[in-house]
Amino acid sequence: MAIIERPAPTASVSLRAPVTPAQSMGIVRRPVTSTGWKSWVFTVDHKKIGIMYGVFAMFFFIVGGVEALLIRLQLATPDGKILSADLYNQMFTMHATTMIFLFAMPMAAAFANYFLPLQLGARDVAFPRLNALGLWLLVAGGLILNASWFLGGAADGGWFMYSPNSGPVFSPSNGVDFWTLGVQIAGFGSLIGSINLIVTILNMRAPGMTLMKMPVFCWMILVVQFLLVFSLPVITVALVLLTFQRSFGATFFDVAQGADPLLWQHLFWIFGHPEVYVLILPAFGIISEVLPTFSRKPLFGYPFVVFSGASIGLVGFGVWSHHMFATGLGPISVAAFSIATMAIAIPTGVKIFNWTLTMWGGKIWYSTAMKFAIGLIVLFTIGGLSGVTHAVAPSDTQQTDTYYIVAHFHYVLFGGMVFGLFSGFYYWWPKVFGKMLNEKLGGWNFWLMVIGMNMTFGPMHILGLQGQPRRMYVWTEARAGEGFFNFGFWNRVASFGSLILAIGVLLFLINVVHTTRKGKPAPLDPWDARTLEWITTSPPKEHNFDRIPVVHHLDDFFHRKYQEDATTGAMVQIATGEQLVRDEEANADAHIHLPSPSYWPIAIAIGVGTLGMGVVYGVPIMIVGVLIILGSSFGFVLEPSVADDIDYDPPMSGGQETKELAPLG
Amino acid sequence: MRLRRIGLGLAASSAMFLAGCARNAPQDTWQPKGENAQKINNLDWMVFPLAGIVGVLVFALIAYILFRFRDKGQALPTQSHGNPAVEIALTIVPALILSVVGVFTFKGIFELAKTDDTQMVINVTGQQWWWEYDYPAQVVNGVEITQPIITSGQLVIPTGTNVLLRETSRDVIHSYWIPALNGKKDAVPGRINLLRIQADKPGIFAGQCTEFCGLSHANMRMEAVALGPEDFAAWIANQQRNAEAPAQATLAQEGEAVFLNQCVRCHQVNGLKKADGTAAIAAPDENVYSGAAPNLTHLMSRNTFAGATFDLLTSSCRKNVWTASPEEFGSAYLKGVTTDCLNQTDLRRWLRNAPAMKPMYADPIKLARSDGKYRGMPNLGLSESDIDKLVAYLSTLK
Repeated sequence: MAIIERPAPTASVSLRAPVTPAQSMGIVRRPVTSTGWKSWVFTVDHKKIGIMYGVFAMFFFIVGGVEALLIRLQLATPDGKILSADLYNQMFTMHATTMIFLFAMPMAAAFANYFLPLQLGARDVAFPRLNALGLWLLVAGGLILNASWFLGGAADGGWFMYSPNSGPVFSPSNGVDFWTLGVQIAGFGSLIGSINLIVTILNMRAPGMTLMKMPVFCWMILVVQFLLVFSLPVITVALVLLTFQRSFGATFFDVAQGADPLLWQHLFWIFGHPEVYVLILPAFGIISEVLPTFSRKPLFGYPFVVFSGASIGLVGFGVWSHHMFATGLGPISVAAFSIATMAIAIPTGVKIFNWTLTMWGGKIWYSTAMKFAIGLIVLFTIGGLSGVTHAVAPSDTQQTDTYYIVAHFHYVLFGGMVFGLFSGFYYWWPKVFGKMLNEKLGGWNFWLMVIGMNMTFGPMHILGLQGQPRRMYVWTEARAGEGFFNFGFWNRVASFGSLILAIGVLLFLINVVHTTRKGKPAPLDPWDARTLEWITTSPPKEHNFDRIPVVHHLDDFFHRKYQEDATTGAMVQIATGEQLVRDEEANADAHIHLPSPSYWPIAIAIGVGTLGMGVVYGVPIMIVGVLIILGSSFGFVLEPSVADDIDYDPPMSGGQETKELAPLG
Repeated sequence: MRLRRIGLGLAASSAMFLAGCARNAPQDTWQPKGENAQKINNLDWMVFPLAGIVGVLVFALIAYILFRFRDKGQALPTQSHGNPAVEIALTIVPALILSVVGVFTFKGIFELAKTDDTQMVINVTGQQWWWEYDYPAQVVNGVEITQPIITSGQLVIPTGTNVLLRETSRDVIHSYWIPALNGKKDAVPGRINLLRIQADKPGIFAGQCTEFCGLSHANMRMEAVALGPEDFAAWIANQQRNAEAPAQATLAQEGEAVFLNQCVRCHQVNGLKKADGTAAIAAPDENVYSGAAPNLTHLMSRNTFAGATFDLLTSSCRKNVWTASPEEFGSAYLKGVTTDCLNQTDLRRWLRNAPAMKPMYADPIKLARSDGKYRGMPNLGLSESDIDKLVAYLSTLK
């Protein structure tokens, strides 16, 4: 079977889907090659898109990490001289923006894209070309955001970009323009992706997989996509208002014209707080797969984990003003948001307990993936508990905008999210690349990251509670206190820790290179895993499954391998993973259809990027962008989902393979 | 035995944590020096230990599980899916703990928002990158402020008095924070936010702007100074005075001419007269985007300048003020900046080239979008002799 399938002769096509015109534009042939750079750039395969999301995200993880190291270098001594005030402000703005929009969200998208269809037992996502469009819009957004470094300076208003400090008077460079446009464009990509994934989860699960038999990772991704669908429009509105203020003379946030600066803060945090859960829930999903696998027993309280995830998502929309306790909302609002914030700690606590109790009574295999998952539980708990201390609004007025908050959210996001993602890397690497990451290097990777992370962010608790505010390009001896353990000491520890952390991350990259070159081929089921992505080859074939699995259980793959002995009650192995995979291959489906690659997603993204640059550099460029968008949208809409016979070179003679036309999408 | 070791370890590590804190950090949030900060600290003392205990229990449980259930070659565990009773218990217990925290939090929020027992009002205005304090005419503890006082950098309040700060901003959002006296409250342009402070004893309390406010956010500091009743009355009396013209034929008098030529465009000195005898009125709105510059009438009664970023006192004199006992603090502070205590180095560097010491928007190329108006103080290109004269004049502004 060809990787990119050719259409069958017209006579044998069974017309289940609407028949589409034979040629889309009648001008260009479809990019049907299955190797070379074209097979990546024009692909609509969720796995290739997932890998590209991952590469993109990893690149920006390094960029954001270098920005972080520069920040720590600057703060290692009082009155640091490494960065100017201006550059420092750009650095912390872009560090956060990069880590959130260009690393964390894309990396979650990488996992979601790659593993969602595999865990659901589907051959691809619901709208493969939209999937590609989402990726390329993100790339366009990322490029615009970082182009600002070379075009007069990056944004300098903080990732929260509070008005009026983000207005044209107070931030006269073009940095904020690039920032608003870049985030908007990347946001479109996320929004498109989220709709796609929601449809995929709701419609494309394998037969028998009810929602409550769906892996927790898919559940968490589903919750995240709903969060995105409801929160991204809010930030988009805010960004559009800001763009119009900066580029077209509008006055939405101009106080002199009667604007209320708090409007921006409400819009931003109605997006910004759900965004926190957008970042953390995919990691929760990953470790909810890893912990059962390596404890060799099912997740404790599956429905509780699912519903606590959903309620975190829901309540997450009702706590945004806890970022604004110091803005003078009045005691009634503050009290309400304070209590709501405490309420969200309850489902979060439920998750921690369920993960912990999943390990209870288990048979724990300390693989690197498992170590990172356990690391997440412990470090996230620290972050969660410090979170409770600032749910107490009066205490928060002492803590907010100090390093205590920086410590808190790095425990949550680095200790939580990043550790979850790394757990996912080690767990799923053999699935994606067919090779095992080195476990010994993995151990070093893990321990250096744990030590580095605690040395970097641990002291920030002390610094913050003792009064060091954040976002300051220098700190001064005069406010640093006395004694050996003064601010100087703790700032040096944090800076040194960040170096260890960097080495830890570097070891991961070394491990990747080492594995690519010399890694052992992975067994088909290296971890004795539990879910459907393991019932196919590693890496999976382009069509994922030779036979669409029929699901009977939660953790169906595990239950195909093991059965409870009727008399003793012990779990007895009845098949190995390899046997199951071979069995699937032997019974492959006769009809497999997949959509063909397309030029149009990347073409639309180029158009949107051009339009964005036009907002900064003038109307003519905007017009070019609009024309590209219009033209490629026509191409997108009019092309058939499957490449036509004449797109192949030489044109296919046909007859050997049969296939059905995929629905439009 | 193992439990005791764990207990010892925990005690040791928490002791290490406490000992690991800096001594006398001026902005320490755990050293309340007034009623409002004390209320917050009481809440801290409730929620931090609670969080600590929960954390220790969870970590102990995890450590136990990781040890006990490691793979020792045991049989594959039963595939149990959970226990609803345990789940419900583990949901209810945290909910109960949090409701207790919630009740006290609720009470604290409303207590800290109280304003009906206010005894004094001060208007606090933030702008890039300094704070202005404006004391409206009022009677405070029997002392009458007959005409408004305008000062900056150091906020002077009487001890044991409920002072209400009415905060706003002239440009971007700033945040007023004196950790020893209360939590922070943002100064939002177009709004007036209220913050209550009260200091138990005389002393000086450090603070810093805590809402990111642009280029020199790190250099926007403030100090609150609490004085006993008599000292406060003396301070008020001094602030109500106009500046006296310097004696004839002194360097200070030449400095006054330089000041009239350069500085008065933005900086007001009450009582300063032009050569023709009319009052010199500063017009910062014509030159500075936020429309304000510090009033320098009693510059030498404050210990700091340029947004409380630099000291007007030499380091030894500064130390005398900061380490004075509450009984001696008032007199130490009211001495102001005497000639032998003046930090000439920083003041001269500032006059020579202010934006080099504190990043500000003073570069004309960058001012196109603010109608050519400065944000901060520009480099005035003063000659060394002008600087000598100005320092002599400024020293007279007691």
